[in-house]
Parts: sequence; C-alpha cells; structure tokens
Amino acid sequence: MYRVAIDVGGTFTDCLVLDEQSGDLRQFKAPTTPPDPSVGCIDALAKAATAYGLGLPDFLGQVDLLIHGTTLATNTLINEDGARTGMITTKHFRDMLEIRRGYKNVRISMYNVFVPPYKPLIPRRLRLEAEERVLYTGEVLTPLNEEEVREAARRLGREGIESVAVGFLHSYANTAHEQRAAEIVEEELGESVYVTTSSQILPVWREWERFSTMAVSAYTGPAVKRYLLALEERLGRNGFSGSLMMMLSDGLVETVENCIPRAVYLIGSGPAAAPAGAVHLGAETGHKNLLSFDMGGTSIDIGVVMRGEIPTTTEGWVQDERVAIKMVDIVSAGAGGGSIAWVDSLGLLRVGPNSAGSDPGPACYAKGGKEPTVTDADLALGYIDPAFFLGGEIELDSGLAERAIMERVAEPLGMTLEEAAQAIMTAVSSFTADEINEVSTRRGIDVRDLTLVAGGGAGPAHAAFIADILGLPNVIVPSVASTYSAFGMFAMDVGRNYARSYITRFADLDTGRVQTLYEEMEKEAIAGFEEMGYRAEDVSFHRTADLRYIGQFHEVEVEMPMDPGQDLSETAEKTFRASVFRDAGGMRMLDAVEEAIDNFHAKHYDLYTFNMPWQGVELLTFRLRATVPKAPFELHRIPQGGPDPSAALKSHRDCWFGGERVSTPVYDGGRLQDGNRVTGPAIIEEPTTTVVIPGSFVATVDAQRSYHLSRNGAVADTPGGAR
Amino acid sequence: MKPETVDPITLSTVWNSFQSMGREMRYVIDRTAQNYLIAQLHDMAAGIWDAQARTIAVPEGPTSMFLSQQFSVEYILDKFGDDLHPGDVIICNDPYKGYCNHLPDWGFFRPIFYEDELVFVALTRGHQMDTGGSFPGGYFPNGYDIHAEGLMIPPTKIYDRGRERTDVLELIWNNVRWPDGVKIDNYALMAALQVCDNRIVALLDKYGVPTVKDAVEEMLDRMEANVRAQLADVPDGTYYGESATDDDGTVLDELVWVRCAATIKGDELILDFSESDAQRRGFVNCVYSSTYSRAVAGSFLYFDPAYSEFHNDGSMRPITVVAPEGSVCNAQYPATVGGSPVNVGTQVLEATVNALSKAMPDKAIAGWGRRRGHYIAGIDPRTGERYVQTTTDADGGSGAVWGYDGFEGAMGMSGLGSIQRGSVEEIEIRFPWRAVRYHFVPDMSGAGRWRGGSGMLWEVENVGGDVGVATGSSDGDLTQPPGAIGGEDGPLSRMYVRRGDEIIPARTHRMVQIKAGEILGKVSGGGGGVGDPTERDPEAVLDDVINEWVTPEHAREVYKVAIDTDLMTVDQEATRLLRNPEEPSATDTDA
Repeated sequence: MYRVAIDVGGTFTDCLVLDEQSGDLRQFKAPTTPPDPSVGCIDALAKAATAYGLGLPDFLGQVDLLIHGTTLATNTLINEDGARTGMITTKHFRDMLEIRRGYKNVRISMYNVFVPPYKPLIPRRLRLEAEERVLYTGEVLTPLNEEEVREAARRLGREGIESVAVGFLHSYANTAHEQRAAEIVEEELGESVYVTTSSQILPVWREWERFSTMAVSAYTGPAVKRYLLALEERLGRNGFSGSLMMMLSDGLVETVENCIPRAVYLIGSGPAAAPAGAVHLGAETGHKNLLSFDMGGTSIDIGVVMRGEIPTTTEGWVQDERVAIKMVDIVSAGAGGGSIAWVDSLGLLRVGPNSAGSDPGPACYAKGGKEPTVTDADLALGYIDPAFFLGGEIELDSGLAERAIMERVAEPLGMTLEEAAQAIMTAVSSFTADEINEVSTRRGIDVRDLTLVAGGGAGPAHAAFIADILGLPNVIVPSVASTYSAFGMFAMDVGRNYARSYITRFADLDTGRVQTLYEEMEKEAIAGFEEMGYRAEDVSFHRTADLRYIGQFHEVEVEMPMDPGQDLSETAEKTFRASVFRDAGGMRMLDAVEEAIDNFHAKHYDLYTFNMPWQGVELLTFRLRATVPKAPFELHRIPQGGPDPSAALKSHRDCWFGGERVSTPVYDGGRLQDGNRVTGPAIIEEPTTTVVIPGSFVATVDAQRSYHLSRNGAVADTPGGAR
Repeated sequence: MKPETVDPITLSTVWNSFQSMGREMRYVIDRTAQNYLIAQLHDMAAGIWDAQARTIAVPEGPTSMFLSQQFSVEYILDKFGDDLHPGDVIICNDPYKGYCNHLPDWGFFRPIFYEDELVFVALTRGHQMDTGGSFPGGYFPNGYDIHAEGLMIPPTKIYDRGRERTDVLELIWNNVRWPDGVKIDNYALMAALQVCDNRIVALLDKYGVPTVKDAVEEMLDRMEANVRAQLADVPDGTYYGESATDDDGTVLDELVWVRCAATIKGDELILDFSESDAQRRGFVNCVYSSTYSRAVAGSFLYFDPAYSEFHNDGSMRPITVVAPEGSVCNAQYPATVGGSPVNVGTQVLEATVNALSKAMPDKAIAGWGRRRGHYIAGIDPRTGERYVQTTTDADGGSGAVWGYDGFEGAMGMSGLGSIQRGSVEEIEIRFPWRAVRYHFVPDMSGAGRWRGGSGMLWEVENVGGDVGVATGSSDGDLTQPPGAIGGEDGPLSRMYVRRGDEIIPARTHRMVQIKAGEILGKVSGGGGGVGDPTERDPEAVLDDVINEWVTPEHAREVYKVAIDTDLMTVDQEATRLLRNPEEPSATDTDA
C-alpha cells in the first residue's frame, strides 16, 4: 500500500509517495492547473503511477491514505475571486467588518497616506441587519426578529449572493440566534447557498476578529466546496477508495466533509505543514528546538518550533483580512529564488519583495526576464549547474544571468560581477536572517539555540549562509527539501482545535463551568472522530487556556494540565480516561487552573522579560486540541558507508566563496551513503535541489539521506567582521 | 556626501534592525499594558536616539509623542552628564523641563551602553490612565495652571544601575489614581526598553561599535540627501495654511487659530507658525516640541512613500519650525497643556498639510475626522471598583488624498492611523456600558473628487451607576477638518445625552452627568475631501449611493450627479445638465 501527500502550490503540484512496505519515498511534480487544480493533482498522481509501473486506477487502488494541502482558499482571497457574499448581523452594527479596529492599513508606514482604502470582502450594501441582542453573559436582551432575518435573506437572494455569513454580537456566549438565523436563511434560499455563522467558525469573543474570520470563510467557502467535491469525484472515478484527508491551517488534518462548512480552516494549508516536517526530521537526531525555513520561488516561510511543539497563533492576517482561528505560526517574507535584486534611489541594494515568478522567471531562464534574481546570483557564483537545474528539466543561460547582474547591480554600485553576485547573496541572506530574528525575538527565543531545518527549492543553497549570520551551529537539509511541505503532511496528526470563551477573574471562577466547557468540546470532538471511523479511546486531548493579568488587553495561551500533578506528556495517552474519571466536584479542576496560572506567570516572563505575580489573573478562552496519532511511518534507509564520500564525487567546478574563486567538489546526492562526511566548500546535487556547503561547515549524511551541516568551529565569514 | 565607510549590505542590515527594534518595543507594550489607551488604542510610541540625541528610528506612534524627542533626550543627557549607567531608567513627563507633550504621556528613557560607552538611548512613551490632577485622564479644562493638570515629573531616575528605586516610584504612584494599573503599564513600558537593550547589544556584538556608528551616519546622511532632493523639486515660494479648534476649554466657543506659512527655498523647508493665536488661558496650548513634532510629521507625508518608514534625524535637518514664545504653538510655563494633543496639536498638523497641499497639489491631503473623545469616571457596580473609560470609537474616518478616498474607519489624524479603535464586546465586558448603535452615517464625509472617510453614529447606554463625563478630548462642534484643493471640509460633529425621549445636546470641553439608563450619543463628521466634488467620477458616486455612503439628494446637490434610484444607474443626461448646464448636449450638436 502507498501513502500519498499532495501539496498544490502556486506553480507546482508536489506529490510525495511513501511505499509503506519498503519505506521508500519518491517525489513527483506536475504543473498546477489554476481553473481546476484537481486536474493537476491527477496529473501528479498519474506521473507517480507510471513511475511505479502501474496504471492510475491500480495505483490509486493501493493508496490507503491521501493527505492533501492546497493554497486554494488563500489564493481565492489573494486573487479576490471568491463568492458574492452577504451578511446578516445585529441591528445597528452592520459596519463592524469595515470599521475594523480603525486600521488605516496593515504593514504600511503611518507616514504613507497614499494607499488605496481597504475594501471589505462583504460590501456595505450586502451587510443587512436583524433585530436581536445577546449580552456577554449569554443572556438575551432582545429576542431574534425572525421576520427581519427572513426579509434580509430574501433581499440577499435578490442580490444574487452565493454565500451568507450570519454574525451577531456576543454569539460566542449564546449561539441560539445565529443558529436560528442560519436555518431561516437556508429555508429562504435553499441548499445551493453556502451559509456560515460566526459561532460555528470561531465561538470566541471580540466581534471584529470573529466576524472577519467568518467573512473569509464565507467568501472562500463556495470555491473550496466546489473544488473538494470535484477532487473527491475525480479520485473516486480513477479508482481511489482510501481516505482523503485535508491539511488544515492549524497543522492538523481533517476529513473533506468537515472542511467544507469551515473553509477558513484551509487558509495556509500547505505551508503550514512544514514545521511538522521539521519536527519529524529533528526527532531523528534529537533536535527539539528548530527553525523551519522553507524558501521557494517568491517567498520564505519561517516557523519556530520549541520543545518539538508546532507553533500556533491566533493573531494571523492574510492580506488585509484578519483570520483569528488558530493557525500554524508561519511568517512569510518576500524573498525567494525568483526575488529581484535592485538598487534603490538611496543607493542601497535591495532584494525583493518583487519576484520574477515563473514567467518570465529569473534572467537565466531565457524567457525574457531582464532583472537579476537570487537564482541568477546563485548561478553566477557557481552554486547551480546550468545543465542540472531541476534535474536538467530547465536549461539555464549563465550569460543572461551575468548580463542582468552587471547591468542592474554591478555597474550602478561600481562592483565586479562576482562582487555583485556575492552582494545579492549576502543581501538576501541578511534580509532573511533579520526576518528570522524578528520572528524569534518576538517569541523571546534566542535564535542561536535553534537548529535550522531548510526546505524549498532554494532553501538548501542558502541555509548555511543564513545560519552563519545568525550564529546557528546546525542545519538539517532533507533530501525531500523541494517537497518539504508535502513531507510535513505525513508527519501530522488527525484532529481539530476547539475553543470556547468564558470570561472571568480567577477569584470569581466557576470551575464547574470550565469543566462543562471542556467536556462539551471533548464530546463534540469524540462525535467527530467517531464519524470519521476512529475509536473514542484513541482520541487524545490537550487543553490550554488564554490568561491575562486583570486589566491587560492581550492574552497568553498556556497549558492547562489534564491530570494535575503529573507530567502532561506521560499522561497524554491516558487523557481520555482521565477526563471520564475526573471527579465532578470541581476540586481537581481548581488544581489544574492554579497550575495554568503558574504557567502563565512563567510564560509572561519568557515572552516579555517580566511578570507580575502580585496582580490578579483573568481567564478568557478555553481551548482543546483533540487528536488521534498519525499512522507511524518508517523511511527507507540508505546503505551505510564510511566517512569518505569520494565514491559519490561527480566533478569539480569553480564556485565563489567569500570573494574567492574555489575549485569545489560536486557530489551526487543519490550516491552518498549513511555516514559520509562532506567537508565544505562543497556542493551536493539532488535532482530537485542543490545543497551548498560553505567552507565553515561539514555535512554528515544520515540513514534517511538528510544532510546535517555543522559549523566546524571556524569563524564564519559574515559581513562587518567577527562576532 | 563623504566617502563610504560602511558596505551597503551592512548598512541596510543595521537600518532594518533599528526599525524592527522599534516595532518589537511597541509589540511588547501592546501585549502587556493594561490601560485602554495604550493597549487597545495604541496611544504609545517607541524609538531610538543616539548618544548625540539624534533620532535614529521612530517607526510608529502618535506624532506628538516622539518626533521631537531629540530635545528630550538631549536635555536628559545634559542633565545627568556622567551620572548615567547601564541599567538606568529615567522617567519624564514634564513639558517645560523635559520637552514632553502633556502630562499623561509618561516617557521612559533608557541609556544603552556597550562596554562602558553610552551608545544609544531608547524611549517608550504611553498615555497613562491617570496622572493626578483635578479629574481622571488628563483632559480636564480649566486648570488654574499646569500644576492643576497633574503630577509633573522632570527627568528622574527610577532605575539606578539595574536597581529599582521603589521609593521614588511609590512617590509617583501614590499621587495618581489607579496606581495598581499605572504600575503595570509602567513595567510594560520598561520591559520594552529591556528588549531594545538586548537587541542593540546583540547588534553591536555582531558588527562592532565603529561599524554601527558609521552605518548610523550613513543612514542620517542618506535621508537628509533624499529629503533635500525632493524639496529642491518643489517650486520655491511661501504657501499658507490654517485651521481652527472649537475653543480653548475655558473661554468657550471662541475659535483658536493655528496658521502656518510654509516656505520652500531651494532644498529647505521653513514651517512658520508666527501668525497663530497667542497662548490661551485654557488647556489647548502646545509647547514648542509638540508643535515641532506635528509640523515635521505633516511634512513627512509629502515625501516619497518608499522611505516613509525610514525617517530619522537626517530627514529633519532641512526642516525648520518657527513658533514665537508666548504663541499657542510655543506656550510658556505655567500654561496648561492637557488638551493640546487634540486641540491645537491637531490643528498644527492640519495647517501644515493645508499649506503644503497648495505647494504640492498632486500630493494634496485633507484633514481627518475630528477627535470625539471623552473620559467617563464612575464605579462599576459589578465589582465595586472605580473605573475610567475612554474611546476613539466615535471618531470619523480619515481625509482623502490625491488619488484615493479616505479610509473608512481609520481615525485620528494626529496618530495617522497608528491609534486604533476598541471592540464593542471588550467595552461591554470591561465597563458597565452597553453599545446601542455603532455604524457609519451617510453624507457625513467631506465631498470631493476623492471624498473623505465617513463619520460615525455611536451610542452607548449607561448600565452602571451615575457618572461624570468630561468631554475635554473633543473637537469639531464648531470647526471642521480642512479639505484640500477644492474638496469640502469634513462635516461638523455633535454629541448628546438621550434621557428617555429627550435629547439633550452636549458640547466639547464640558462636564456632563449621565445617570443609569441614559444614553451617550455622538454623531461625528468624517474626513475632508480632495478636489472639486463635481469632478468625481459619476460611477464612484453611484457606488457610494448604492452602498449608502451618500444619499441620492446629496449626490445631486453636492456631486452634481443624478441617480436613477429605481434602476440604480447614473442618469447621464441629467448629470450632464447638472454639471455643465451651459454646454449643449451631444445630441443637440448632432442635430
């Protein structure tokens, strides 16, 4: 049997197939097919079938699990081609989605006022009102005026909307009005209209965050639904009868049925898988504090993993839309292989955020690109073999790369070609290092304690240089680097995150209510898993809660032990039983909350350099992560060898390192053996990527053909002198 | 420009690092502070200066808080001289001894050392929920003199070589309301300084002091050259702008004028406020550093947006701000200043923009909706605790600019969008108040070829006990944010108390009593427009009518666009007649 992960990206659909018997892992790529990306998925699967010498139906018949990540929801948002969406909301509050928090603009300097105004996903004329009012206690102040809901639904029907979002104030505390209004909309407009409520998407306080997340879900929902149904149908028609699981933004996987009504949970699906891959690779070597780094054509995705935990956030933005569900905390920045190098009017060299993309692509693609890119610099420095890019699929033109660098960078800055190429390389590495620094410091983490795990087509060529700037001692480059996210999907658990708001000071806490909230969420989770065919006793729960000091406006999410007094990881397997046998008196819940408060003081200190144990604490949102463990998998092991890698030596070629021309050995990754040591400067070529090992690093090959680069103690050649 | 001593890559790395430190400091404050103004509305700022008190990084925050803080840093460096040490933190809020803005904006300064050398000074500043004085919040008109406005703290060490001077802090906290809350905010502001210190030391570890200093020189020189080159492109001349605020809070309903003469001479810009009104008896007086920071912020808006994040001391060198002593733009001790961030302060920015929009019409900028703030002080019956409540929720939207309509929802010109709104659910959970209405109002924006962002209708019901409301942080009952190059001014605002069916008007700069069950209501004007409204694209007007930003009547009267409200289309012929009544129609010509 086979296990398959498919990651549909902007340019390529990556397909990774694991032969469950041999542990053999193979990578396939097919072009992404924008009008209906399910076509590209089938193309990639057909390539795989051919490689295994099977027809597509025979191959798919042997696939028991297909995990799928797609940027469809994200792209629908970015390309602004989502559904025509209407909203029904509390009377006199229809503008919350557009008032937002008064943001002029996100991520743009306050001294720049020449910016096009924000356009909400649901325009004002399609935001209609119904009389109703619920208070934060859940109490109904004004009952729902059903006739007004009906009238609003009809009016939206006349406007030709495909999707309706129902969001009322304080619905997290009482969902009845939203649920009833959704029923009425369905009665009026029929099943063809996609209906979403804010409490169904995110039953958490703060109206704008909740409504914005709901609007994103409603706007992307119809496209997601169409695509998933088409994919299921297409797979079924081609002989697939295994389970199809979708990769969610929170790093868990879910069934298609559960994804369709909650499209927003697919935002970021794909890149969100990368940290899971990092955790898996790190675990092999005992590294638990990791920096997952995925450098593709147009952007880098950065995630910090501490103690083997996938980082998540509820503070996410996608473009100008606030998405407040829990998402894997990936920070993207505009720097990749296709990023364009340019000299600005202050005479500073900049790289990105504009990218040459795949059309025209870097100058060396010879498809008309005139701007020098990072890939062109890599080529000019000798790191990439023009005849072996993507395993020879694209032939590169070094002359065009050099001309672009000369004209746009070297001449304006008065540099030689090699100096300019080196400067581009250093600029992109510095920029990336700065981004990483900001990501890690924001989390209160010293970046030097992390191991860099590098993926993406361009990651392996740049990882060591970035590690040098940051002072990181270790880099792991997997042989599946170019399908890094797809690899991460194998390593993910099945499950879902739940959240409920109950806002109270600790002094006034009703532990019974907390108990009930968790039990409700657990019940809901178990029902969901049973529907998917899992057994209740296999479900693990992980509880957290959002706490803050009384008066603060922002919360910190901390662990809430399930079985107070014991180490959480030890009891993780028994958590289901623990929750069943917990005594109803609420006494043990109190212990758990007290421990959560201790965790809060400690985490506040870690994050912000101080805490205030003298100040009272309030609790706001209770969260549950319910998972069943992923099916374990074992990768194919390559033969063991000694330290000497010379059997895999392909050739020597001239490369530039730190301003010097160096005759550099080039190794064939496919022929390296477990235990081989490759001393830098050296190049390792894989069919879909190139690993660059500068002189300050030594690479060791492991049994799964991952490369472990470690700094050999020599002082790194960083700009500006010694550290 | 002198020969380059630092390579361009190191330069951009160092430059970006300073910017990112500013953002990180802001983040730490935002995440940990407890007062509504700082943590929810972001009335706070953070920045970095060097040992010569030159501005290195001022990425974001209300303009009044930090664009002039080179004066403050210089004052502190002079005052303490050799007596500054690693681990020191200095507090200051004094406008007259410390170049601060108004008393609630407490600044925390930290000298940052590297191997015994003072290299940088980091500053965080935030609006405290209380600073003592006659009434909570710092926006109380009618103080006898500045001493009535609250505790006035000259530069004072509160940390000495890493050790907290608890006695001094307690002296301060003992003299404010809600000391427990103020204490949290003070620690939040100081924690951000610690984070900045860590980051700067790491940067210096990596590049060494000489390289970073060279990079700093280069950063300043390049911004100076950049700004000078842009000024040189503007035709020389003097351009006049003006703007008024409702009154000074003491002498009511008498407008106070700020006038700006902007002279561009070669590559220099002189912003002269000499023709402004004299220092007032009421609390709207700006000290010079407040005027300076607003005027400089206003001028930054006209420079290339590609560098708008990177302004520093270099950008300020070509700019001179003139304001004679005793003017409302350069008030002298013991004048009260509490209301100046809203009144007069905003007008300094508006008058600057009003003048520069004439010099650079293709970058014209209109004023934003006026501030409609208040401070409510009362007791929360749910906890028995005293509270102070304020908000920006009622403020109207931003002004239009050449090429774009104003932002709906963005508020507060003096924060240029860095100050934010609250959340209805947060207010109801936190305070004994319930939101009744909160939405945009049609026709409440300044018309123009590009129109301003809309005004708001905001009503909240008192579900607690009786309270006093100070409307000191308000403006715009009598005066309007100016439009630009033919665009209309932003509309007037009003405020009221609903007592059953009775609607009682309430005015700015007054005290209002509100009993349980009564409603505080505000209708605010939005931002001003840019360009002649009759030049607005009729399709854009139609879109505004469809979305109920503009009524069909307003479209016809002001924009001269006739909308067929049955078909919801532009009546082209009627519109042509409205816009060009003299010109014969195309069909007439053909005939």
